[in-house]
Amino acid sequence: MMWKHTQNIRRAAEAPFAFLVILILWEYGAGFIGVPEYILPVPTDIVGKFWQTLTIQAHHLGVTAATTMIGLAMALLIGVLLAMSVLYIRPMKAIVLPILAAFNSIPKIAIAPLFVIWFGLGVEPKILLAFLLGLFPVFVNSITGLGEIEPDVLDLARLAGGNELRIFTKVRLMNAVPYITDAIKVAFPLALVGSIVGEFIGGNNGVGYLILSGQFNMDTPLVFATLLSITLFTTVVIGLVVFLERVLLKWRPSRRKR
Amino acid sequence: MQTNTAVKVDRLTKIFDTGAAVEDLSFEIRENEFVALVGPSGCGKSTTLKIVSGLIPPTKGKVYIRNAQVQGPIADVGMVLQSPVLLPWRNSLENVLFTAEMGGRKPGGYHRRASELFKLASLEGFEKSYPHELSGGMQQRVAICRALLLDPSLLLMDEPFGALDVLTRERMGFELQRIWSASKTTVLLVTHSITEAVLLADTVIVMTARPGRIKAAIKVDLPRPRDVHTLREPRFIELTGAVRDNIEAQWVE
Repeated sequence: MMWKHTQNIRRAAEAPFAFLVILILWEYGAGFIGVPEYILPVPTDIVGKFWQTLTIQAHHLGVTAATTMIGLAMALLIGVLLAMSVLYIRPMKAIVLPILAAFNSIPKIAIAPLFVIWFGLGVEPKILLAFLLGLFPVFVNSITGLGEIEPDVLDLARLAGGNELRIFTKVRLMNAVPYITDAIKVAFPLALVGSIVGEFIGGNNGVGYLILSGQFNMDTPLVFATLLSITLFTTVVIGLVVFLERVLLKWRPSRRKR
Repeated sequence: MQTNTAVKVDRLTKIFDTGAAVEDLSFEIRENEFVALVGPSGCGKSTTLKIVSGLIPPTKGKVYIRNAQVQGPIADVGMVLQSPVLLPWRNSLENVLFTAEMGGRKPGGYHRRASELFKLASLEGFEKSYPHELSGGMQQRVAICRALLLDPSLLLMDEPFGALDVLTRERMGFELQRIWSASKTTVLLVTHSITEAVLLADTVIVMTARPGRIKAAIKVDLPRPRDVHTLREPRFIELTGAVRDNIEAQWVE
């Protein structure tokens, strides 16, 4: 027991330790080789800049977080609804599937400038990009999660008097939960890409804008400080998803058990 | 039709794209009778069971349950399939209560009946276990409890122990007999085990190879409760022999 315990601690400490080593090498190595700050600022400079620009960071990250999460929420809602329509309305399958597949093959980022023409420089084009990028993984996983139910389960449910509504809420939706949480893990970073690209293209808000202004002023530490903000945000969100999975999917056999 | 007929299958024919699965099949099951349907694999046993339950329609012929013609999924029936088909996100108790919930009933009122069944199936203490934490035999017992929750007057079983190892299978057979004698319902059991059929049933119906027809109906007059010792009784051996002869005669024909 004791041995296993120490082993666990060691394993848990491995990653932060490796990270620390890299930071130290970066901090002292960059100065040693003589890389200028505008090419690669050292970690202490980045943290210093981050601290110095904290209120600006918080403001812009807040905007990006809002457009990303709204876009993601819309992707979840519309993605699940589209999957349901394909599942329940026969002709929808022939319409929705090819359109979505074709649409998915267009790089959304390439049409982003159009959204600026159509919707201006506000938050709308950012939300739209975040939504469009997040939509496809949610839709695809929802189709699998809601649709792929063992025929035997459906037989038993029908024999027990189950109507479509009860089968949907108590069988299909429950079956789809792990597929949807998996989809969020893919759709969230994509939605974030959508928001940031939208901010690159127009407007004066969001971390994308902050990075661009850092670039214009050759303020490389600001670019890195903003990247740090983004990383903190993604870490929090992914942590939330993992927490959500622990709560919703406690029935799943632990993958860590060996 | 006699008044105590629970199920009447009348000249049933089912033709799939691949050909006829059952042809001109007729038999009756009395109230509280335990009938086993045996036959070579692919003879349409499972198809027959599904038609009786109303899950699939027959091509020709009719099924009556207590004088009412079956025209869709029937109510008041319990179904046990070869695999337990438990929902992985529900614990044993919630899986058993699934039957009530699907029927639009509040599960709260069925906890007592559920715990009675858990006791009967020797599953006490496993109410909160998830399917993946149970052995195959235990999962199948949960499935049987689920089928019996609403005290159905008809229990349909499609090779319920087919996926279990031989020893577990034998024990499950005795358990099923015990559960059945406590709840006395009409049973139609599909199996390919002759021993299981003779040990459990009042009547063993032997089907021919595809397309399935009735080859013989053999009354099992062994006293109940039947146990391990029954397996060694001359009458038991005689009866299994008779069933086997009827199945093997087909290979000669």
